[in-house]
Amino acid sequence: MTVDDNQINAVLAEVNDMINEITRKYGSPPVQVTMDTAFHSELELESIDLVTLGVMLAARYGEQVSMAEFLADKDLADVIALRVGEVVHYVVSRLNVVSHRNVATAVD
Amino acid sequence: MPTIRVNGADLHYLHTPGRPTGNPAPTLVCIHGLGTDSLASFYLTLAAPLAAAGVDMLFYDLRGHGNSARPARGYQVGDFVADLDGLLGSLDVRLPVHLIGNSFGGTVAFAFAAAYPDKVASLVSIESEPPTEPWAQRVGEVLEITKQELSRDETYHWISVQFGDHHARLSRQAYRRLAETSMVEEIATGPMLDLTDLSRITVPVLSIIGGDGFQADDPYQLEGLLPDCRTVVIPDQDHSVLVEAHRQVRELLLDWVFSHHPVTAAPGQRT
Repeated sequence: MTVDDNQINAVLAEVNDMINEITRKYGSPPVQVTMDTAFHSELELESIDLVTLGVMLAARYGEQVSMAEFLADKDLADVIALRVGEVVHYVVSRLNVVSHRNVATAVD
Repeated sequence: MPTIRVNGADLHYLHTPGRPTGNPAPTLVCIHGLGTDSLASFYLTLAAPLAAAGVDMLFYDLRGHGNSARPARGYQVGDFVADLDGLLGSLDVRLPVHLIGNSFGGTVAFAFAAAYPDKVASLVSIESEPPTEPWAQRVGEVLEITKQELSRDETYHWISVQFGDHHARLSRQAYRRLAETSMVEEIATGPMLDLTDLSRITVPVLSIIGGDGFQADDPYQLEGLLPDCRTVVIPDQDHSVLVEAHRQVRELLLDWVFSHHPVTAAPGQRT
């Protein structure tokens, strides 16, 4: 398993916990999401739940992880078809940008 | 998930500060529509690009919607206006603000501008009208029919076939909102605005209409009713123009807000 795989799995586990926190308020039983799980058709979440997930992600990883920024240029059909893996990859990409920036700053 | 209790209801809201530009940031307050709508339709389309351009943005879920409380009663237009006024006061928002309302959210914005003209710098309505008697009659009938239709299982099958399972699920959630509250009975009731009231809404208004939307029959009607109104019709769009054509809406908004932004007072003060 590569460093990237470890990072993806770690973020996926956290996203899984956050999604369960959201679905619990609807009285839904616990779910185990995968990278392929679809937010709307499988988890039956609404757009407002994506906003809630975004707030949770920003609280956990910092403001550099912005659901609003991630989704701003997507079409409605893309948002409706959104899968967990897309969000996980976005979070990892933002963490890597920050990580690289910190390394560059330290070298300077 | 920030909530604040105003006017007897806990309202969910989000604030995205504008990127510092060296100038006082305009504040844009986003008011969503009825039924399946929530602050998400504005937040997920406009928050990031407008904040990056230096616009402070406030999003909130109307009572009975999204993550806000769902009281059984209290759904007159005046209740929504009182909620907005309470929200701006409780959060100490810098006045005057720019309002943008989608569908019923625009109706609330017009009613707010009529009630509190000094608190509004400009108003953008998307597929919406002021609360007048003709509007109330139309909306009241539509809501009554919608509630009846959504009480039948066949309706969800039809929605699923026509628009997909996602929309059928949203419609079921919308029905619960209508069935568990007095929205249908109250929403098209007072206070309504008459022609004199409309003539006193002197703030600049931008009316964005879908070419195939609810106002397609008379898209420029508001220009004849309001002292300072400009209409933009986006062709080939229906009532969902905000989410379906969000890039065009975004460009219109950026141009509008910065060209109608007065010098602002300190937080909590009026200019």
